[in-house]
Amino acid sequence: MTRYLYEKDLRPMKYTILTSTKHDRTVRAIAHRLGMADAKLRMAMIRRLDMSLLENLESRWEMGQKHADGGDGVAGELGCELFTRFIPLLDTETMQSIYDETTTMIQNGLAVDDAITRGRERIRKAVLR
Amino acid sequence: MKKTVDVSIPLGPVHPCWKEPVRLKCETAGERVLRVEVELGYMKKGIERIMRGRPWQEVMFLAERVCGICSVIHNMVFIETMEEISDIAVPPRAAYLRVIVNELDRIASHILANFSYCYTIEHETLAMYLLNTREIVLDNLERITGSRVNTAYMIPGGVRFDLLPEDAVTVLADLDKVEEEMRRHTRIFETGPLIALRSKGIGVMDREEAIRSHTVGPTARASGVSDSDLRLRHPTYQALGFEQITRTEGDNFARIMVRFQEIFQSIDLIRKCVTTLPDGPIRGGGLCRAGEGSHSGEAPRGELTYTIKTDEYGRVLDIAIRTPSIMNIEACAHAMIADAASIADVTSTFISSDPCVACNER
Repeated sequence: MTRYLYEKDLRPMKYTILTSTKHDRTVRAIAHRLGMADAKLRMAMIRRLDMSLLENLESRWEMGQKHADGGDGVAGELGCELFTRFIPLLDTETMQSIYDETTTMIQNGLAVDDAITRGRERIRKAVLR
Repeated sequence: MKKTVDVSIPLGPVHPCWKEPVRLKCETAGERVLRVEVELGYMKKGIERIMRGRPWQEVMFLAERVCGICSVIHNMVFIETMEEISDIAVPPRAAYLRVIVNELDRIASHILANFSYCYTIEHETLAMYLLNTREIVLDNLERITGSRVNTAYMIPGGVRFDLLPEDAVTVLADLDKVEEEMRRHTRIFETGPLIALRSKGIGVMDREEAIRSHTVGPTARASGVSDSDLRLRHPTYQALGFEQITRTEGDNFARIMVRFQEIFQSIDLIRKCVTTLPDGPIRGGGLCRAGEGSHSGEAPRGELTYTIKTDEYGRVLDIAIRTPSIMNIEACAHAMIADAASIADVTSTFISSDPCVACNER
């Protein structure tokens, strides 16, 4: 892959987007949902998402709350669609493997809450990777 | 021997087809576009920060400078938010006059968007025809408000100028002319075989993706998203019997055609307003008070939201503006352009979503 001639460091501008009034509120809500620190989530978002997606974060979060993960309870708790298609913090393969692992744990007799807690732990690790 | 190579192609920030600076970093495999990354920050104004702490009388003028193309709706939504916070009523005549000016601005914006698209796909003749027609619309905007671009027409509780009877006659005559010319331009666009080659089935965004990225305005309506026009919930538009225009194709052609259709709808709305304009005052009065509120209006590009917090003197303590281009540019880059069959379609698809970088960066 060829590289760009003029590459700017976009991190300060991305940080400015994420710390505006509404975006800050959204980042805090997502961090709360994932159970991780705001600053760490901001860092992951700056690394993974481009500027237009960061600008659109609030709307995507709003739509994700309304439309993501309709039927499946476990998928809803983990945010399978929410964190892959609405706010792409993880790729679909990783999320699918986390979902499969969580449902296997539930089938093997682990309590649903415990399995989801473990699943969320894996999501946090994957987001920060 | 033909060889497929992986290349990163940066488009912009300065590009002949872009009206404003933005950089699209396209990753391609041969002709196919795999991924697009949008790089902004070339025209950040920091206007929300400038607005904070200023009285509403100053912010009113700043609001319409967020975007030079749809300045009227920025003025309108800001004023409607202030009215909502302060519980100020608008006289019926002023409400109708607001619709007239807002729809004239929408026509001007839609014509400019379609001009840009025709220019991008190298149909310069139609592009120039469209710009010529736009002049008539801007002349009428000037006739009513005294200005072509930054009109500052709406104030809390009413509007600044009335529509004189002789001006109303001229507006109606000019609308007939605009309608006739637009019918001709739409026919050229609809029936052009080369236009169809560059537009039909290109940059397709399905309804699900449009909902996922919260796409708004004609971009959403071209992908079949119903109930996505806020005019449906505006009392004056409801009184005028407004109905939303929707298409289902979701491609470049549909997006441009929705704008053409909306131009005719706007012409009808203005005609209805001018002919049934209620008598009475154009200013009801009222004081801006302390409070917090959020209000949305339908801009030419889609849903525009102002969230404002004011003190007892009407000073804006905090403000957040969500413009339609924030959603539309993002959806365009990640849903319409990504996986495009040809790099040649990137510019036309981007322009078809009517991107406004000034709105996006504020």
